[in-house]
Amino acid sequence: MGMDMKMAWRNVWRNPRRTWLTISAIGFACIILIFMLSFQFGSYGTMINSAIQINTGHLQIQAENYFAEKSMRQVVPEPGPVIRSASGIESVQAVTARANAFSLVSSDNRTGGAMIIGVDPESEAQVSTLETLVRRGEFLTEAEPASNPALIGRLMARNLQVGIGDELVVLGQGRDGSVAATALTVCGIYASGMDEFDRSTLHMPLDTFQEVYSMRGAVHEIVVKVSGLNHVAPVKRVLAKRLDQMPGGDSLTVLDWDELMPGLTQAIKLDLTIGVIFWALLVLVVAFSILNTFLMAVFERTREFGVMMAIGTRPGRLVWIMLYESTAMTLVGIGLGIAMGCMVTWIFQHIGIDLSGASEILQQYGISGRIYPQLSIITALAGPALVLIVTFAVSLYPALKIKSLKPVEAMMHV
Amino acid sequence: MKRIFAALAVLMCFAAAGHGRINDPDPRELVKGAVNYLRGKTSQAVVEMTIHRPDWQRQMTIKAWTEGRENSIFWIAAPPKDRGNGTLKRGDEMWIFNPKVNRVIKLPPSMMSQSWQGSDFSNNDLAKSDNIVDQYTHEIIDRQTHQGKTVYVIRSLPKPGAPVVWGMQELKIREDHILIRQAFFDEDQELVKALTMEKIEMLGGRLYPVKWKMQKADQKEEYTVLDYQSLEFGLDISDRIFTIASLKNPRL
Repeated sequence: MGMDMKMAWRNVWRNPRRTWLTISAIGFACIILIFMLSFQFGSYGTMINSAIQINTGHLQIQAENYFAEKSMRQVVPEPGPVIRSASGIESVQAVTARANAFSLVSSDNRTGGAMIIGVDPESEAQVSTLETLVRRGEFLTEAEPASNPALIGRLMARNLQVGIGDELVVLGQGRDGSVAATALTVCGIYASGMDEFDRSTLHMPLDTFQEVYSMRGAVHEIVVKVSGLNHVAPVKRVLAKRLDQMPGGDSLTVLDWDELMPGLTQAIKLDLTIGVIFWALLVLVVAFSILNTFLMAVFERTREFGVMMAIGTRPGRLVWIMLYESTAMTLVGIGLGIAMGCMVTWIFQHIGIDLSGASEILQQYGISGRIYPQLSIITALAGPALVLIVTFAVSLYPALKIKSLKPVEAMMHV
Repeated sequence: MKRIFAALAVLMCFAAAGHGRINDPDPRELVKGAVNYLRGKTSQAVVEMTIHRPDWQRQMTIKAWTEGRENSIFWIAAPPKDRGNGTLKRGDEMWIFNPKVNRVIKLPPSMMSQSWQGSDFSNNDLAKSDNIVDQYTHEIIDRQTHQGKTVYVIRSLPKPGAPVVWGMQELKIREDHILIRQAFFDEDQELVKALTMEKIEMLGGRLYPVKWKMQKADQKEEYTVLDYQSLEFGLDISDRIFTIASLKNPRL
């Protein structure tokens, strides 16, 4: 056994150039797989986090059918106790309440439809990044409350041709079906990088919203921010249990970001599927080049195998030696690949990859500026493991070919 | 030879059935007559609108003036909270007025398919209710009787390229020009909603459907009812009432 391995190792280095070529093919495949996988997971992380931080939050408490029907009348009637209960859970960082209404928004010479969102300025700033997205003017907290401030998106400002200090008229329908109308003054303009959000949302203080839309203290969403994506599921369970015990809580439901943004997870799944197909093709190419190397080795050494069999080596032992050889090369290749791949990925993880050139398309997914690949055990090992399995399977064929050799014929082979 | 004659006879029967009876009226004239009958040359009405939903219901009183098929203006008279909110329609365009912010807003095209005041009538139903006459081709597909009078069932398909919302409409018009039912279908010929006239009485000097019910398909508990409280035709209405300036001064 020990001698077989020693022989295999020496055989590997009998033709160093060919060996290095094979090893580098395996190594490069590993580097690419590690980097691409980390890059993809990094961009998904960016997408999810920016979507969560800009608006959705990790978890939302809503009335039972509000998410599906978005009807004005499906409310959380008394948000106070729910907010207090949610804030008390460990790993919940911040909680805020919002109310939404689709309405007409009209400037002096333009009119359009918009989602009017009533937010509590102070707690909103802790839950979402809205405050930091304000590019011109100021956030709702700093604006004069008597002026009925409104915060609008960059594209809405452009479509309605308004700037800071201009007046907007909002006209919609209140919770009781009555006409809801008010005049607002633009206090700030935000740019989130998500075009749809910047085009169609208007934020105003929650108390003004509740008055204008006859909400009688009710809200539509209670948004919860937790300390990380991995805390979402446990907090959701605790919240659901607490809601059940609350009077009137059975008409409420807890939704996580995945349920609130089904389009996002679908986009990620689609992208991942395309990635998997691409990697499979890459591994296939590597597999063929390795098959070629191993096959050539067998042909070249047919005479050698004949001699060894003639002096009494069993074919099975030769097969094992061949398999040791290929495994040794693969392991060296994968080892180097993992080391190099992790290094390259780690470097980019720290400096980031500038994607501002392609930002038009990526903005729709909430990716703006830089993407940071995310190195993890999965991204570092999934690709190399695949390469290991495939190269081993491929090396079986030439190794087993030795079994069919006849010593005399093999020795005649030049 | 006999066989051929028999076959021809059968064919002709089918042909006759397919084209309807010879003495059928022109379907377009029927539709036009029905729309004109509902509107009169000019009209002034007080209507009570009830919006019904499974868990709530809401009532409004509306005062409306119309002129021909083109112009109309109406204000909400009750409840007090909404009093003075007005809507003006001229041709295909609509403006709304809210007294609280004292502003007139022209409805953008993107909002035309939204519901009017949360009812089952969309802005389009109000603004484009007349283009049924010109933008559609009409065909009589059936006859029925209603209170002893003949009712024509008319299928109206939009003309190619016509700027309309519906994929098909089906109208039931009585021989005395009274519209009995108007059903709206989408592009896949699926019923979306239907307007049914439930009570026909003498009002404003003529037989008139005094109760209109607009109901979404498959939604028993979601409908909007228009109940005519009073109606007058042929008033001498000044042209100036159908203007933006007049919209700002509710005539209540």
